[in-house]
Amino acid sequence: MMLNNLILLTGRTINQGIALESGKTTKRNVRATAICAFDKDDFKKLKCFIGTPVKITTDYGEVIVYSTISEEGPHPGVIFIPLGPWANQVVNPNTYSCGTPTYKGMKAKVEVVKEGKVLDAVELIKRLKEV
Amino acid sequence: MKKTNIKTTQDVICPFCGTLCDDIEVDVDLFTNDIVEVRNACQIGTAKYFSSNPSDHRYNKPMIRENGELKETDWDTAIEKTSEILIKAKRPLLYGFSSTECEAQGKGVELAEILGGILDNTASVCHGPSLLAEQDVGVPTSTLGEYKNRADLIIFWGCNPVDAHPRHLSRYSVVVRGYFRKDGRNDRFIIVIDPRNTHTAQIADIHIQINPNEDYELMSAIRAMLRGVKIDDKEVSGVPKEKIEELTKIIKNCNYGVIFFGMGLTHSSAHHRNVDTAICLTRELNDHTKFSITPMRGHYNVTGANVVFTWNTGYAYSIDFSRGYPRYNPGEFSSVDLLLRNEIDASLIVASDPASNFPANSVKNLFKHPLIVIEPHETPTSVFADVILPPAIAGIECEGTAYRMDHIPLRLRKVKEAPNGCLSDFEILERIVKKIKEKKGE
Repeated sequence: MMLNNLILLTGRTINQGIALESGKTTKRNVRATAICAFDKDDFKKLKCFIGTPVKITTDYGEVIVYSTISEEGPHPGVIFIPLGPWANQVVNPNTYSCGTPTYKGMKAKVEVVKEGKVLDAVELIKRLKEV
Repeated sequence: MKKTNIKTTQDVICPFCGTLCDDIEVDVDLFTNDIVEVRNACQIGTAKYFSSNPSDHRYNKPMIRENGELKETDWDTAIEKTSEILIKAKRPLLYGFSSTECEAQGKGVELAEILGGILDNTASVCHGPSLLAEQDVGVPTSTLGEYKNRADLIIFWGCNPVDAHPRHLSRYSVVVRGYFRKDGRNDRFIIVIDPRNTHTAQIADIHIQINPNEDYELMSAIRAMLRGVKIDDKEVSGVPKEKIEELTKIIKNCNYGVIFFGMGLTHSSAHHRNVDTAICLTRELNDHTKFSITPMRGHYNVTGANVVFTWNTGYAYSIDFSRGYPRYNPGEFSSVDLLLRNEIDASLIVASDPASNFPANSVKNLFKHPLIVIEPHETPTSVFADVILPPAIAGIECEGTAYRMDHIPLRLRKVKEAPNGCLSDFEILERIVKKIKEKKGE
């Protein structure tokens, strides 16, 4: 199942904060940060269980993360990935001459993936080194 | 009396976020040199203290990459290799500095100057637009103590302190009793403006659910209403006109209001123009009542990095020394832009993790050149570094100065010894500076 025309936001969550201080290369960081939170009604349209890997695609890249229902809804049409290496695969790197990339507000599409897995932080970044 | 091997240090400053909580108590087992208990800190601060204990992702010795493998080495060899890489580079980037103390930041400035390199801190990907806006229009601000004692209206615009600055609410802004706000939460009115019903919004009196990327329009509408202009549209930024009128009335009629803003303004498409107009709104509100504005700074000493860089060079971030004197131009000398254009040929990362925090395309170019990290823990950046220099963690294993988000300098405390005599960030940078000066014959 696929959803189009969503807006991707990134930002801090407390679990992501605890995980990054507890070890950025740990499984805990994957569980806290490699997730995409959906509005409850949007998630129903995906027709999958919580925790199913989904592929997020924007104009700037794609990444596979676990899906979940947002605790901070309702926010129809908006999806949220905590800041970290997974979110940064799909954010807009353009700074428009102010130095700061546009980490929020990208158009995104989401599809449930049957193949492919959520990579851990080091595996994910290693792909950038190999390019 | 029973003998104990636990040493308790009180009134410790927490080296996690810009709130710099100063009431932490830390218990250290003197036999094992481990932190065994942390009191008063938030969950993230507590995790940071416990991260100083030995673990499989804490570095104890300097490491150098040889034939593709990271191998342990001694400090002299690691410093020698670091200075070789930096001297050879024509355009080295020195980035990070926000999670270390001010003395180390000062040494970083000296190193960038003798190398003729580029100096940048994490404000570059965080509150850099806020600094640009402050340079454009000034900033009516105050200290957190003033807000605690006086503010009866708190606006959190594009920030979520429950998750990012967990004790900000209980120490300065929401559920805290102040001299003129004796009834704490009941004496304060909380407004959250955010596209999501964040955990902070869930405890607010009003949540304005705004469309993503449309903060500028809403602030402009409020500014117009303050001046008595009638808005023709039925809604602005997804917020009905009646609700904006109600909001304007509330903020106009408070005794002392404050806007705390975060990445919701600086990371969305208008960047510094969002902050510009937020500051102008604050200034105009002072025609009606007393109002201030403060950025919610993330890293505990990113404010210090801006302050130290400014008093040394005149500029807060994105500084280029390649002509022998400092030049400033975010967009040209800012780390992400430099990396996107692949303009650097080596990098020294101090207390930061750009591989996790920069957009993917810029990280690709970071890895194309020699990479040195001063970092106590394994991170996606350090794993691919050529040299790893593990420091003592500032604020836990060594002292130093840090600036709170409202520019109040506080002295960080040492609560335990660093493992295996790891050097502090300051000592590491000092040794690199000395070695480079020796090699250059200065």
